[in-house]
Amino acid sequence: MSDLFVRKATGMVRSWSVFDAFIYAFFSINFVTLGFYAFSQMYYFGGGMINALIISAIFLVFEIIVYSSLIAVMPRSGGDYVWQTRVFGGGLGFILSITGWWFTLWLWTPVYGDMLRQVVIVPLLGAFGMSGQAVWFAGTGTPLFVSSILALVFVSVVIMLGMKTYARIQKFSFYAGVVGLAIVIILLLTGTPEAFKAGFEANSAAYFGTQSSGLVDATAEAGIAAGAATPLTGGSLGLVMVTLPWLVFFNLWPNWGATLYGEVRGATDYKRNFAGMAWALGAVTVLGIVFFLAVSKTIGWDFYQQANGAWWNYYWGYTTEVPPLPVWPNPAMLAAFLTNNRLVQIVILVLMSFWWFGWAGTLFLSSTRVVFAAAFDRYLPEKVAELNKNGTPVNAMLLMVIPAVVVSYMYAYNVGGFISVTLAATQAIAIMYFGTSIAAIVLPYKKKDLYEASPIAKMKVAGIPLITVAGLIFGGFLLFLLVEWFFDPWLNTGGEAPGLYGISLMNTNSVVFLLATYGLAAALYYGFKSKRKSEGIDMDKVQAEIPVE
Amino acid sequence: MTTIFFATDVHGSDICWTKFLNAGKFYGADQLILGGDMTGKAVVPFIHQGGQNYRVTLLEQVFDITNEDELADMRKKVRSRGYYPYLTNPDEIQELEKDPAKVSKIFLQEVLKVVQQWMELAEKKLAGTGMKVYCCPGNDDMDEVDDIIRESRTVVLAEGEVTLLASGHEMIASGWSNRTPWNTHREEDEDQLAVRYEAMTSRLKSPQTAIFNIHVPPYKSGLDEAPELDKDLRPVLAGNSMIPVGSTALRKSIEKVQPLLSLHGHIHEGRGSTRIGKTLVINPGSMYEQGTLLGAIIKLGKNKVENYVLTTG
Repeated sequence: MSDLFVRKATGMVRSWSVFDAFIYAFFSINFVTLGFYAFSQMYYFGGGMINALIISAIFLVFEIIVYSSLIAVMPRSGGDYVWQTRVFGGGLGFILSITGWWFTLWLWTPVYGDMLRQVVIVPLLGAFGMSGQAVWFAGTGTPLFVSSILALVFVSVVIMLGMKTYARIQKFSFYAGVVGLAIVIILLLTGTPEAFKAGFEANSAAYFGTQSSGLVDATAEAGIAAGAATPLTGGSLGLVMVTLPWLVFFNLWPNWGATLYGEVRGATDYKRNFAGMAWALGAVTVLGIVFFLAVSKTIGWDFYQQANGAWWNYYWGYTTEVPPLPVWPNPAMLAAFLTNNRLVQIVILVLMSFWWFGWAGTLFLSSTRVVFAAAFDRYLPEKVAELNKNGTPVNAMLLMVIPAVVVSYMYAYNVGGFISVTLAATQAIAIMYFGTSIAAIVLPYKKKDLYEASPIAKMKVAGIPLITVAGLIFGGFLLFLLVEWFFDPWLNTGGEAPGLYGISLMNTNSVVFLLATYGLAAALYYGFKSKRKSEGIDMDKVQAEIPVE
Repeated sequence: MTTIFFATDVHGSDICWTKFLNAGKFYGADQLILGGDMTGKAVVPFIHQGGQNYRVTLLEQVFDITNEDELADMRKKVRSRGYYPYLTNPDEIQELEKDPAKVSKIFLQEVLKVVQQWMELAEKKLAGTGMKVYCCPGNDDMDEVDDIIRESRTVVLAEGEVTLLASGHEMIASGWSNRTPWNTHREEDEDQLAVRYEAMTSRLKSPQTAIFNIHVPPYKSGLDEAPELDKDLRPVLAGNSMIPVGSTALRKSIEKVQPLLSLHGHIHEGRGSTRIGKTLVINPGSMYEQGTLLGAIIKLGKNKVENYVLTTG
C-alpha cells in the first residue's frame, strides 16, 4: 500500500528490523544451551549428526512458513491459543495451549536448571579452583534441585524487571555469547588432537581433581561401554530420521518470539517475518555443521560421543559408577582447555554463560501471557492476573513457580524415574504445534473471508494456498515425531521401556505427566465454563462470532 | 441489574460496526457503548484500466478486476479491513502524487461518507429496540465526525459529557489521549487531560457508581503496553520491548474518584482487565482488521460490578 494513501494514525509503525527478529529467533534455537545439551544426549543413534541437522532444518522451514502465515492473517492476536480457538472454536485451543505454553514449562524448569549448572556454574567453579564444589554441583539429586531453584530465582527476577529490560539484556547477551562461541570454534579449528589430550587431562585435574593421566582413555572406555555410536555423517535415511525426535529438542523453536511481531501490512512484512526466523534457522544449522567439524578435528568425533555417553549413562542411572570426568563434558569448556591460560579460560566461560542468561529468562514470559489471557477470558480467577504495586504479576508467578518447584524436586531426585521424561517437555509443545498446523491447513477454507483479505491471499502452490501446503508438511513432520515418541515403532519393535527417547507409552511417568497436564487443562476449561454458566455467562457465546447480517 | 456491551477501536470496519450493532441482541445487553477510533487508516485506490477493469493493490498484493462482481467483492474485502475503496484513474493518481494535500480531502470525504452510512445503519438496526449507542470519537477521529454523530437519533455523542444511562449510572466520556508519536486529531498534554477529566468528574453526583468511558487507558495498568518505538517509529528489538503508554492524568483521576467501572481502548494489543483500587478497569483490545469484534460484557448492579467477561465476536 502506498504511504500516500495511509494517514497518520495511532499504531501506524514502520517495519521492525529483520536483524532484531533474527537475534531473538537465533537465541530461541539456542545453540549452546539447547544445542550442546541435545547433541550430547544423542550419542546412541545410527544416523549422522550433520545429515540430521540438514534434514530437520528442511522440515522446519515449513514450520516457519506456517507461523509467518498465521501471523500475517491474525497478527498480534496471542499466538497458538487464539489461532486454534478462532479456527476450531471451543476448548481445544485452550487445552492444547495452556498445556503447551504453561504446564509444560514446569517440566522445562529442571532442564533449565541442569543447563545452568552445566553451562555456567560447574565450569566456573572449576576455573576458580573450587574443584570439590564443582564436582558436587554436577552431581545428581540436591545439586540439580538447588540449580533449578537458582534458575527459578533468575526467571522471577526477569519477570519483575519486565520485558523492556530483559529484551536489552538478551541483545547484549547475543553479542557476548557470539564472541564467546567464535573463540570456542577458532580454538577447536586451530587446535590439534595432541594439544587437546594434554589440555584436557591437565585442566580436568586442575578443575575437578581427576586423574592427571589416562583420563582420555578411561573416558573413552566408559563411553564405549555406554554404547556411544552416533556418527558425524552418513547412516541411512531411516536412521537419520529417527534421530530427529531428539534433535528437535534443540531446533523446533524458531517461532518462539514470533507472536510478538507487529502488524503485518503486506507481503513485505510477511517476508520480513519469514526472513528473521529462516535466517536464524539457517545460521544455527551452518553453525552446527561447523561446530561438529571443528569438534571432529580437534577433540575427535568418537571421543566427543564417548565422553557424552559416559556422562549421560551415569546421569540417567544406567550405572552408579561416576564417570572419569565427573561433570558434563561441556564442549565450550573442552575448547577452553586448549589454552592453559586460566584467565582466558574464565573469559571464555563467562562469555559462553551469556547463552544461558540471555535465553533462560523467557522460561515463564510466555507462560505469563497465557495465564493472563486465560484469566481475561475468565477461565481462571481474576486475581491471577493482578499486578502488585510494582507492576509484578505475583499471583501468576506463583502459579508457575510453585508447581515448577514440585516438578523440579521430582526430576532432581528422580522420584519414580521421573528424570526419564525430559523429552516430554518438547513433546507437549509439539502436540500444541500440531494443533496449530491443522488450524493452518484448514484456515483458507474455514475462514475464507479472513484469509482472502489477508496479505497472503495470493501465495499459492499449484493453486493450493501456501499456508495449507506448509501446514501439511510441517503437520506431517510433527505426526512422525509424535509416532516416534509415543510408539517408537521402527527401532524398538518389542516396545521395551524406556524406548529410544524415554517417553514412549511404556514410560508410565511420561504418560502420567501428559495425562495429568491435559486433564488439568480440561478441568480448568470445563470447570470455569460451568461456573460462569451458573453466574449467567455463556462462555460458548462469548467466543462465538456475532452474525453480520 | 443492567448488562453493558462495550467495544472500541473499530477503525472503519463495516463488519465490526455491524457486529457491534447486533451485539445487544446477541449477548442480551441493555446498553451499547463504543469507545473511540471509529475511522479507518487507509484509502485503497481502485485504478481504472478501461472498460470494467480496475487494478487494486491491497496489502502489497496486486489484484486485476475485470467485472462488476469482482469489483463488488474487492470493495467488500477492502472494507472488511476498515480501509476505504476509492475509484480513480491513472491521471488522478499522478495528480495526487504531486499534491498529497488532495489525498487528505479524499480521506475526509470517504471517512465521513462511511460514518454517515453507519449512523443510518444504526437507526435501521436499533429502531424499535429502545437501545441507544453511546460513543465518543477517539484521538484518530477527525472533528467533523462529531457533527455527523450529533445528527443521529440512535447514536449519542458522549464526548465531554456526564451522561445518565438508563440503568441510573452516570458516565463520563472522552476520546482525547495523551501525546502520541503520530500527532493525531485529539491529543494533548497530561495537565490538559487532567483539567478535562476534572471538568467531568466534578459534575458527578455519585462518583463511586460512575462509569468512565475514556479512550486512552490509565498509565501502567497493564492495559497500556505497546511496542517501544525508535525515532523513526520502528518497533525496537523486534517488538520484544513493551512499554506503558497510558495516561498518568487518567490514572490519578481513577485513583481519586474510584468509579465503579472504567472502559478503555486505544492500545489494541492491551486486551485485559485489572483493578485500580476498587475500580474495575477494562480494555477489550481490537482486532478490527480481522473483522473480529473484541468487546466486554459487564453486568452492573446499582453499586457494584456483578460480573464481566471479555468477548471475541
